[in-house]
Amino acid sequence: MTDITKPLPGQERYVAPLDETPLQTVDTVDESAPASSMWADAWRTLRKNPLFIISGILILFIIFVALFPGVFTKNDPNYCNLDNSLEPAAAGHPFGFDLQGCDVYARVVYGTRTSLSVGILTTLIVVAVGTLVGAIAGFFGGWVDAVLSRIVDIFMAIPMLLGAIVVLQMFRTITSIWKVVLVLALFGWVSTARIARGAVLSSKNLEFNTASTALGSTPTRNLFRHILPNSVSPIIVIATTSLGSYIVSEATLSFLGIGLPTTTVSWGGDISKAQSILRTDPMVLFYPSVALAITVLAFIMMGDAVKDALDPKSRTA
Amino acid sequence: MGKYLLRRILQMIPVVLGTTLLVYALVFALPGDPVKAMFGDKPVNEAVAAQIRAEYNLDKPFIVQYFLFLKNALSLNFGETFAGQPVISEIGRAFPVTIKLALMAFCFEAIFGCVFGVISGLKKGKWYDSVILIVSLLLISVPTFVTGFLGQYLLGVKWRILPVTAGSNPGFLDLLMPAMVLGSVSMAYIIRLARSEVSSNIAQDYVRTARAKGMTNTSVTFRHILRNSMIPVVTYLGQDLGALMGGAMITEQIFNIHGVGFLTYQSILKGEANMVVSVVTLLTLVFVVCNLLVDMLYAALDPRIRYA
Repeated sequence: MTDITKPLPGQERYVAPLDETPLQTVDTVDESAPASSMWADAWRTLRKNPLFIISGILILFIIFVALFPGVFTKNDPNYCNLDNSLEPAAAGHPFGFDLQGCDVYARVVYGTRTSLSVGILTTLIVVAVGTLVGAIAGFFGGWVDAVLSRIVDIFMAIPMLLGAIVVLQMFRTITSIWKVVLVLALFGWVSTARIARGAVLSSKNLEFNTASTALGSTPTRNLFRHILPNSVSPIIVIATTSLGSYIVSEATLSFLGIGLPTTTVSWGGDISKAQSILRTDPMVLFYPSVALAITVLAFIMMGDAVKDALDPKSRTA
Repeated sequence: MGKYLLRRILQMIPVVLGTTLLVYALVFALPGDPVKAMFGDKPVNEAVAAQIRAEYNLDKPFIVQYFLFLKNALSLNFGETFAGQPVISEIGRAFPVTIKLALMAFCFEAIFGCVFGVISGLKKGKWYDSVILIVSLLLISVPTFVTGFLGQYLLGVKWRILPVTAGSNPGFLDLLMPAMVLGSVSMAYIIRLARSEVSSNIAQDYVRTARAKGMTNTSVTFRHILRNSMIPVVTYLGQDLGALMGGAMITEQIFNIHGVGFLTYQSILKGEANMVVSVVTLLTLVFVVCNLLVDMLYAALDPRIRYA
């Protein structure tokens, strides 16, 4: 037993040696261990989350179907024979046929690519534009912020669907999917901009930014090297979650008949076509709806998992 | 409070002006001729077209048109439809239906969303918590029009509990299923929001203090946990009331309800530019006013917020 009234050698007054304190393991820092970044930490959390594993597998599968639809069906989604109209499932045609005699299974498989490309392209544009505008507003502040924030308010006040329908109606003759992507992005960028602005504002006033300025860094360098990397996680969270909602919006617009042209195979369009035979043949409407729901569900679950990993405050466990 | 209210109302002015200008520009300045749309498939008679252009001020520069529209709108004069009906009377017919539908959907999502969300948050990890969570995830991922068809098929066609479509002068029962469909997605979001709020508030220090003081479980739950958890939920609900009015378009389309959404969609398809601009302007006003009301409600719910 050490005499606690006398200081140990090299001490002015008594301090207990590390191995006698109960917090020994907490106090010891293994300096040889590799530094853990926020991303490594997030990845460790993600790997253990069953939500992430399930949604990750689902999303990889959906991407695979979108890239190689030919692996899953040998039938042409656009080959429709009225002789087959509303025929039930048969060998090689597991979901049966729709009113026009098209193979429902083939159309569901080929519709994946449409939905996924609209969702991913819209998200990319929204993230690029929203982050840029939000970062400029948050970083420069003053009148720039005031003007940009009012513009965001204005776009926020227009319901997305309503605005999208008005614009799409003007460009009915254009048949490219870029039409839908750009219109969804036109009304979708504002929420990302608002979140990016908030994130930039909060990390602008943190100490590392002051420290970097004190070391002679320019404001632009600060923005790109320090502020933006620290604002990325809320943007990633909203991007993942809203990807699913863009897929729903595209399907809704195609359902209303003003989204994608009827020649493009899409779940929304197929659901719209099947609504007239709902009372007699509900299954024709059922299959594309389930495909749509699973895809959206996968992205929403992924968004939840990413949010848990990147935002420790929202961690539920 | 009075000063804050005044400042907020003044802040609303540029937003409302900007939104109407944007909508006006989208409808009138983009390619596509609204006058040509009036003739439908018939050949355009230039003399008549010119007369209509003059009547709707379409021959004037765009910004002048916009201010003339605003001036008329302030006296509730929104012009006439192609068929010669005053726009305001068409809107007057459609608005009550949509308000009824939106209020029913609002009550549905508020009551069921809060009840299930709070139960789920208080009893985290129980089997019914998992069931509520899974159902709310499913409701979010299934688009409204699919939920609508599913409801029509199951409740209307198969089990014959509720009417399949509503028609022009719908009653409570006619609107019950559309309201549930319209409110289902928001209900799921409210469940998730209320659940995470309640479960994070349970772990707060003030809850432990309240229990240590010897308060009963019921009053801790209602006076402390719920009161603090409801603030974000009320914000969401307030913003949603405005969004429900505009978002009713799909639901009204599926259930054949002749409300604002139905009217707007038909007008957009027919190219009735006047009607579209008028309805969207009114919907924007509703949305902005709802947001203002939410901010006022904040002060009542959270004594920490004081508007000086």
